[in-house]
Amino acid sequence: MNMENKNIDRRGFIGRLGGLGLAGVAMSAFPWIEACSPKTTEETGRDYTRIGFIGTGSRGCFHLENLQKIHNARVVALCDNYEPHLTEGSSYFPQARLYSDYRKLLEDPEVDSVVIATPLYCHFQMAMDAMDAGKNVYCEKAMAYTIEQCHQLYMKHKQTGKIFFIGQQRLFDPKYLKAMEGVVKGEYGPVVNVRNYWFRNNDWRRPVPSPDLERHINWRLYREYSRGLMTELACHQIQNGTWATGMLPEKVMGSGSIIYWKDGREVFDNVCCIYTFPNGVNMTFESVISNAHFGMGEQILCKDAMVDLPGSRIYYENPPKKSGIEQMIAEIEQGIFSNSAFAGTSWSAENGSKDPGISIMPEADGDGTLEIMQAFCNSAISGVMPPRILEEAYYGTVFCLLGDEALLQQKTMTLDKEFYI
Amino acid sequence: MFKDSVITARQKTRELIILLVCFAIAFFTNVGATIAYSGHWTEIFTQIGFVVVITGILYVLQWVVRIIAYLIKKIFS
Repeated sequence: MNMENKNIDRRGFIGRLGGLGLAGVAMSAFPWIEACSPKTTEETGRDYTRIGFIGTGSRGCFHLENLQKIHNARVVALCDNYEPHLTEGSSYFPQARLYSDYRKLLEDPEVDSVVIATPLYCHFQMAMDAMDAGKNVYCEKAMAYTIEQCHQLYMKHKQTGKIFFIGQQRLFDPKYLKAMEGVVKGEYGPVVNVRNYWFRNNDWRRPVPSPDLERHINWRLYREYSRGLMTELACHQIQNGTWATGMLPEKVMGSGSIIYWKDGREVFDNVCCIYTFPNGVNMTFESVISNAHFGMGEQILCKDAMVDLPGSRIYYENPPKKSGIEQMIAEIEQGIFSNSAFAGTSWSAENGSKDPGISIMPEADGDGTLEIMQAFCNSAISGVMPPRILEEAYYGTVFCLLGDEALLQQKTMTLDKEFYI
Repeated sequence: MFKDSVITARQKTRELIILLVCFAIAFFTNVGATIAYSGHWTEIFTQIGFVVVITGILYVLQWVVRIIAYLIKKIFS
């Protein structure tokens, strides 16, 4: 991102996403984009929303940095129960009032909206209390610790009418929107598979200044506070399947265990889940944190092409033919450099395509985090909740949690009817 | 330090003819490849960049051959 567009205002927001040229079928697939447009907020006569920020850890500070670029946001209060984090957070907004108890922040009459960037186990109570206190809420994903809590939060939003966003930033990532546009329109044929994976090679630990802070700081590793890889990583990706297929998974099965990081953690360090949609299409989520070779990937496999979402590339099954001279040169190269066998092979590996693919949006930057925060501020000012945005986030979290239940119970799980919204 | 040298009109003509022959070989290689790989006839023009590069490569190669021939001739004369 260059300096000219570092500060985005309401017009800048729609300019960034409007520039995608989404229309027709695509806009009906991404209705939240249009609903977040500045036109709606301009009609309210209010210019900004006053934000109380809860949880100023690493993710929180990333949001605070973004909020500095958003003209219609005023961060008026900060809260964290860990002093070093609160101090760091206040460096972004030195004028903001500081709290160590989020309930005190919620009592602050100057706060219209709250951003919750705390550990997973805190999301439910904080978001419930915030909506009860009449505040709009932007809560980091995953939505909550249990499916029941997610449902209660959704119902609370319906009951209070307060704006409620979950930080599913891919919904606002220009690369994803552009790629999904082609998928939704059926330009690449029907969706036949969805692959999500996230491979890392580190212990996922953060430095702890004293042993009594271990669980407080490394909360991701303990069941009491986190659902591990399913809520910290899968919740970014599971939404891709419902988005691409336009359906909700029917069932999920999976397996997980601790295979390498046997350091007292309680959450799995490797998981593999298979989600099945009603039409039989499977979606996988796989994560291992002791080998980073494959990195992170989100791939929509259609009959005629594979769409690489984070890489923003399309790989056609039958890529455009190369010119005759290029084919001839390639054959000569192959003749010179390939190994010659003594005898013909009776079997050869079905190697993957070497097609370099076609870039969808080479100019795209960012990951949608700034845009979704801007959209939240627009909605908080206008009081208009964008359609389907919360439902997408709800199911995104709910199916991650269901996947975790499948891992824990070692059986195929289906979502109870009462949790369909 | 350096001596003045003269490139005769005959030498210039010879080099131009060699370059033209290289271009012709490259051009007809492209035409042949387009036919052999069932390419579109427009490739004869759209792939002209490849033709130019192949022309250059052929011209350099013939110079390598000529230099080697010259050196061998000099050794044995």
